[in-house]
Order: sequence, then C-alpha cells, then structure tokens
Amino acid sequence: MRFRGVASWAIGLLRRSLQARAVFSTVVISGLSLALVGGFLSYSIGGGLFSTRQAQVLAESERAVVEVQNTFASSSVSNEVALQTLMNTIVPSIESTGTTNSRRVALLRSPGQTAVQVLQSPISADLDTSVIPADLRAKVRVSTGKLLYQSVAIPVAGSEHPGIVVGAPVQIPLAGNYELYLVFDLNSEQQTLDFVQRTLVFGGLALLLIIGAISFFVTDWLVRPVRLAAEVSEQLAEGALDRRLPERGEDILAVLARSFNKMAQSLQSQITQLASLSKMQQRFVSDVSHELRTPLTTIKLAGDMIFAGRETLSPPVKRSAELMHDQIERFETLLNDLLEISRYDAGAVTADLEMQDLNGVVGMAIAGIEPLAMSKGSEIRIDIPQGPVDAEMDGRRIERLLRNLLANAIEHGEGKPIHVAVGASESAVAVTVTDEGVGMSRAEVDRVFDRFWRADPARKRTTGGTGLGLAISLEDTHLHDGWLQVWAKPNEGASFRLTLPRRKGMVFTQSPLPLPPKKAKNRGDA
Amino acid sequence: MSHKILVVDDDNALREMVGIVLESEGFRVAFHDAGSGALDRFTEEAPDLVLLDVMLPGKTGIEVCREIRAVSGTPIIMLTAKTESDDVVLGLEAGADDYVVKPFDPGVLTARIRARLRPIGSASDEGTVKIGPLTLDIEGHEVRRGAEKISLTPLEFSLLLALAQKPNLVFSRAMLLEKVWGYRHNDDTRLVNVHVQRLRSKIEDDPDNPKIVTTVRGVGYKAGQG
Repeated sequence: MRFRGVASWAIGLLRRSLQARAVFSTVVISGLSLALVGGFLSYSIGGGLFSTRQAQVLAESERAVVEVQNTFASSSVSNEVALQTLMNTIVPSIESTGTTNSRRVALLRSPGQTAVQVLQSPISADLDTSVIPADLRAKVRVSTGKLLYQSVAIPVAGSEHPGIVVGAPVQIPLAGNYELYLVFDLNSEQQTLDFVQRTLVFGGLALLLIIGAISFFVTDWLVRPVRLAAEVSEQLAEGALDRRLPERGEDILAVLARSFNKMAQSLQSQITQLASLSKMQQRFVSDVSHELRTPLTTIKLAGDMIFAGRETLSPPVKRSAELMHDQIERFETLLNDLLEISRYDAGAVTADLEMQDLNGVVGMAIAGIEPLAMSKGSEIRIDIPQGPVDAEMDGRRIERLLRNLLANAIEHGEGKPIHVAVGASESAVAVTVTDEGVGMSRAEVDRVFDRFWRADPARKRTTGGTGLGLAISLEDTHLHDGWLQVWAKPNEGASFRLTLPRRKGMVFTQSPLPLPPKKAKNRGDA
Repeated sequence: MSHKILVVDDDNALREMVGIVLESEGFRVAFHDAGSGALDRFTEEAPDLVLLDVMLPGKTGIEVCREIRAVSGTPIIMLTAKTESDDVVLGLEAGADDYVVKPFDPGVLTARIRARLRPIGSASDEGTVKIGPLTLDIEGHEVRRGAEKISLTPLEFSLLLALAQKPNLVFSRAMLLEKVWGYRHNDDTRLVNVHVQRLRSKIEDDPDNPKIVTTVRGVGYKAGQG
C-alpha cells in the first residue's frame, strides 16, 4: 500500500513536472553510462591483475621445478632415509623462496606405479590436497615436463579464495614418478580488485548524485521562466490583466518574456476598450430609455384622454385614437423591455427569491394571458401535479417569463390547443409550454433567443411582441441558475421547457419533464 | 370643496397634461416648474397633496420632499422614471407617501391620489385606540404618549391605526399595501418597509429594538410584542 502510494506520487510528479522529468531522465541515462564504463573498467583491471600475477606465478613455478629437479639429479643419496630427509627439505625451501609467502607446495607420488611406496609425500602444513583437481593431476602425469596450471577455488576458513595450481612431473631416483604442485593463493589480488570495484561503485554513485543535482539546478534555471510564464498566463486568464513577466537579458527567455508581455498588453488594451465601449452602449440604452419616459408619459396621458373621449369623434378620427392608444402601449412595453435588457447587460439585476408554489405562478400567468388566448381561439390545457410544487424563485419574473412563453405559443399556435405541464423532482421543478402550430426549423431554433429576431419576417405579426421577450426570459432563467430550452419542428409545433432548481445552488442534471413533451409525440395517435 | 393638488415638474408638456387630467377628474391644480422655490409655492398654495418629480432643476425632488416633510404631513407622491434604482427608496425615506412610475396611466395616477386623500379610518371608527404606551385619537388624528403629542403624517397615522385596531394580528406587507395604500396586486415591499421604519423612528424608544410595531420574520408586521 505504502509503496504503491509512493509510486503513484512519483508518477504523478513526473507527469506534472517538466523539471522532474528532465532530472529523472538525466539521472537514468547517466546511471546507465556510468554502469557501463564502471563494468568495463572493473573487467579490464581484474583481467590485468590476473594476467600479471599469472605470469609471475608461472615464472616462479618454473624456477621451483628446475630447482627441485636439479636437487634430485645432483643428489647422491643412496638409502631411503637420506632420500626422505632430502624430500622433506624441498617443500620448505620452495615455500620460502619467491615474492610471496602465499604459496603451498605438495610433492605427490603418481599413482599406478608397481613399486611399493615407502616414502612419505611432503606437503605444506596447511594445504588440503583436495584443491588440486584430479584432471590436472592426470594431465601432469602424462606431460613431458611442461608446466600445467589451472585456476581453482581455495577454501579458507569458511570462504573461498581464488588460486592457481601449477604442476609438473618430477623423477626422483629410487622413489619413481612424482608430481610437484605449487598452489598460489590470489586473495590479495582479489582484495585489490574488490577495493577497486568498491571505489568504482561509490565513485559512480557520488557522480550520479552530483549529476542529478547539476541537472536539477540547470533545469530549474531553464524551467523557472517558463513556469513563471505559465503562472502569469493563468492569472491573465483569470482576469488579472495587468500581470507581466520580468524582461531580463537578451537570450531566448527574454525574447519569450517580451513577446508574452506584448501579447498581454494588446489583450489588455483591447479588452478594456471593449469593456468601456460596451459600458457606454449600456449607459446609452439605459439613458435613452429613461429620457423617453417623460415625453411618453405626456403622450400616454394625452392618448388616454383622447381614447376616453373617442365616442364623440368622427369614425376615422375615432379609429386613429384607438390605433394610437394600442401603439402607445406597445411602445411602452418595448421601452420597458429595452430597459430591462440593458439592466441585465449592466449586471444590475438581482433575483428576489422566495419559496413559491410553481402551480400558483403558472395559474397567475395563465389568468393573465387568458383574454388573448380567447381572442385567438386557443384553448389552454393544463397538466399539473396535485399539491404544491414549491421552489425558490422570483415570482414576478417567472410569471412574466411564463406569460411570455404563453403569448408566443398563442401567436404561433394557429388557434390549436396549447399544453402547459408542470413537473417536479427532488432537486428541480419544470414547466413546459407547447403549441401545435407552425413550429420552427433547426436554424430558426438556434436563433430563437436572439434579440429582435423574428421567426419569419414575412409573416404578419398580430400580437405585437417586442422581439426582446425570449431574450429577457433567458436572462431571467440564468438569474435563477435554471435552463430554458426549446424543441420545435416545422408544422408540428414548438415546446419551451423551463427548469429551475428547487433551491438556489441546488445542482440538477435532468429536468423533471421530457422535451419534446410526451403529448407532442403521441399527438398523431390521439 | 374639491382638493387642491400642487404639481411640481420641470417638463412643461407633462405638467400641463397632468393638469388637464386632474382637472377633468375634478381636482384643483397648482403648478411649479423647479426644485428651487417649491417650498415657498407649497406654503403659498397650501395644497392637499403634492405630485413631485424626482429630477428637478435647482433642487432634486428628494430635497424638496424633505423640506416639505419638515413643515407638513401633507401627502406627497413622487413621479419617477426609474423603478429599480435608489430613487424610489430615497424618495420614500425623505418622506414621500407613495410613488408613480413614468409612463403612468391617468387611471393609476388618480387612483393613487384618491387613496392618499381618503379620510383615515371608516365612518364607524370613533373614540380612541390604545397600543402600548400610545393613545390614538381617531377623529383628531392625534397620537399621544402620556401627555406628549407625537406628530405623524396622515399615512403614518393610518398605518399605525391599521395595526393598532387589530393588536397581535400579523399583517403581511400585501395586506398593509391594500389597507393603507389602497393597492391591489402590488408586491412592492419597499413602500411598507420604509414607512414602518419612519413610523418606528417617531414612536419607539429604541427604533432598532422595536416594542410597539414588531417584525414577524417571513410574514410581516404586527402591533404589540410577542
């Protein structure tokens, strides 16, 4: 578990940090190269040590063998006792000569001779003759006086030392065929080699550490400006438009910093320019709307006076009074919508949220639109759940929004029934307003929330909407963190679905009502 | 005799048109066209009600409103072009009884005016009503704390009377809007809130910790504690 945690942390670090990746790969590659070089060094030093020692061993053995052969050849011993004495002096004499005292000597009688052995074979005190390989002995026995050698492992106090056994046949008068073996212990060479290898390993590790540290500092030095650039662009993206990179020196990083700053500068100036333009425009729309209100009040009062007295007027003047009265209303609505949208644009709108029964709000909206529906012959059919459907909302805005959806449905519904459904889930409430009228094409649906957009400019307008209704409805919906969605098909009708969270901040992923509504699908069967 | 209304507005056409509407409804009308001098005109004409535009040259309508309130409880209705800005609240805090948003219907304007000119209480109300340490004389439109007379505007008096006549009944803001202001289907709670604050500042010992007109959280207001 713990190891896995560390491993996943390390993998995460490598994925996140460019620097960690650079340091890691530098260390890995250097480590491999060092191991390769160290291995080669160790191998060639070991080989060198061994061949030097081997040459020395062979030279010494040669001298020893010649010496022994000469000793026996020149001796004039006649009895076995004297011969034994002579043989016994040979071993210590060979042991003591030479550069190292790390050699052992054995003078062994070759087996398979017919004469009975009467003489003892002299052997160095601490030599175990079993280290002399049998196949070497066999080769020595048949050799013609040449030196033969073999590498062996010499057991010493529980461990093994590397060694070389050199052998040669020796003819001893009166005694017959003997074999002279010299066993050389190469432990000191092995120790030297071990020491060299240890030094190489420690040196390599130290070098690796130093390489790691150097690559850390170098990459840090290179990555730091890049990291700073990343941080600054993050801050720029979050809206801190005045953040800049420090520009130092003439190198590639300074060039990066300069061009980055240039980009940030032009970004900032364009954004501020756009922001001030858009603010000016919002101010303008708001001011115009306000300035128009005083003359409009006079016009409205005058129009109402004339309208109230229209019965006394001649028919054409009376009709004019009626038209003027209606259009003043329309003008006022347009002005109110313009003001409302400019307030949304200026971000000056806050919702007046209260727990309210959506059914009640829907009822009020329908009651408000009923006269219009009657005049167009559209029947409004309602499908609402039993009991209250409570949600936190700005009742005034939601009622206005629903009235607007209903007015649209009536206008485009061609006198066919309009369906209103209410639904609720744990986290959300929804209303759909569906008509069976002319509907809309795909392209028209995409533009339906645009300001002053008309579904079909050629079609006659009858109810005199402002063209801002759905744009405001969408803003009202966003104010509630809700959804306002539309489905439409040419000549089948359109359906608008409003979904609101039960409480502000509640997250919902699905609307309680389907879109397109079930009724719209089944209508063909009904 | 018919009521006299002072119209203070700098827009000539609107001022004349409002005059025509009001005269056709049987009111007498006096005019003034600027913020400066409005108070002199007010004392000179002694109108029964003032229609006051917010945006005036010289002095703003808010300042004029404050000046008139300092000397008189005569009903004041503000004419405002902005519904959501601070203008409405500022006007109400300066002592205006009500407001009308431009552009308005002649019907709405006269309804608002009549609501403010209506006699306080119904004909059957007489005598006095006691609430806490206060005594309300309905016919005399007077409020006394012991022997000390408290000066309330007619609107504040009818607001207090409405609450005091049914002590411990909780009035929602919509109920008060209908009973005191004569509104139906209006949910502008600012009207009620601002006037309750003004009333409290006159009748309560500690307006921040009211004892006579108390708030019922989430519902509205009532007279008396608990």
